[in-house]
Amino acid sequence: MQPKSKVEIAEDHLRKAQAEAVGGDLRDAVQWAFASLEATLDALAEPRGIVIDAKHWNRAKAAGQLYESGVLHDDLTELHAALNRLRKSVFYDGEELTGDDIDIEDSLRRIEDAVQVARGEADASGKGGRV
Amino acid sequence: MTVATARRQPSQAPDGMAQTDPLDNEAWTARINNDRKRVAAFCSSDLRLMTEAVEHRCRALGAHALVLTGSTARGRRTDVSDLDFHVIGARPEIHDLPDEIDLYDDEPEVFLEKLDRGDDFVHWTVRHGCILFDAGVLREAAWRIAEGDLWPDARRKRSQAARALEFSEKLVRSGDREAALEHVRGSLTLVSRWLLLSRSEFPLARDELAGQLDSIGHRELAEALSETIHARPDVATSLAYLRFARSLTHSS
Repeated sequence: MQPKSKVEIAEDHLRKAQAEAVGGDLRDAVQWAFASLEATLDALAEPRGIVIDAKHWNRAKAAGQLYESGVLHDDLTELHAALNRLRKSVFYDGEELTGDDIDIEDSLRRIEDAVQVARGEADASGKGGRV
Repeated sequence: MTVATARRQPSQAPDGMAQTDPLDNEAWTARINNDRKRVAAFCSSDLRLMTEAVEHRCRALGAHALVLTGSTARGRRTDVSDLDFHVIGARPEIHDLPDEIDLYDDEPEVFLEKLDRGDDFVHWTVRHGCILFDAGVLREAAWRIAEGDLWPDARRKRSQAARALEFSEKLVRSGDREAALEHVRGSLTLVSRWLLLSRSEFPLARDELAGQLDSIGHRELAEALSETIHARPDVATSLAYLRFARSLTHSS
């Protein structure tokens, strides 16, 4: 089977995050949301030559660059940092999360907007499906 | 936060800095001086500048203590290492500093409560971190470890590892290879830490775990962990590693 494109991965992760949020599993919702955001940033950074090199901090930087250059209409740098902190506390420290830790609906809406930008670009370039 | 004044001889702790008698002023001063030397030895000039910036901001906010933790504090940085700090007290703003800085924060009472209930990360900070400054909370923590023979809760770690393995398997199956690699590595690290804690071995930096696992007879897990740190196992191999790690958490 062909590997999925970054946009496809971002979309799949987002759907899982949304399903977990609806189902009330905030831990998994945060983990999938972060994974979706990272795949989205990869998808948008790659054609612009923004180096990610599999590093979270490069993706945080890319989020700012993509906003400043007008690709994204929302600066996702702080959301990336917040999700990164939360998903680490869930995964590595086994912490439970509550609604006070994050507004998951708002976070997912912002990620969805970015995923749609990445989807639009991929469709326009003909690289939206499996690579 | 003050160190208990009653002079009691701490029992022999199993490893790390807890071998330093925290009630002995000279020994405690020597530990902090030695930690400073470790920071100088293990950090490049860039990392030292970042460390100084974080320390300056923490002091300015009146934080109780700051510790350099993680692989840098052990002199075992790898290509994927962050620069990790644990601040006890006020958390400074670091958005304008390089993003590879990872800052954990706890209020002093929460820090000590976590120590008492066996949080291995807090234990790591006290036992193996490089103290940059301490107004007393770390010395109090060291005293508690020595006096109470405190040890991280291995069962808690096992439960964390089991949940992490479950999520990692979903991620591997999702086709996101990059995220999957990180999570498989993270899961195997958690399983390794649990196994070592349950065998009274304090887990050190990630890059040291394979050697520690080997020494307690878990060579297969050691090799799997090493491969996730230094190579890129494929999907089938990743799933096999996760299944093997899961079997360990079920069988022990």
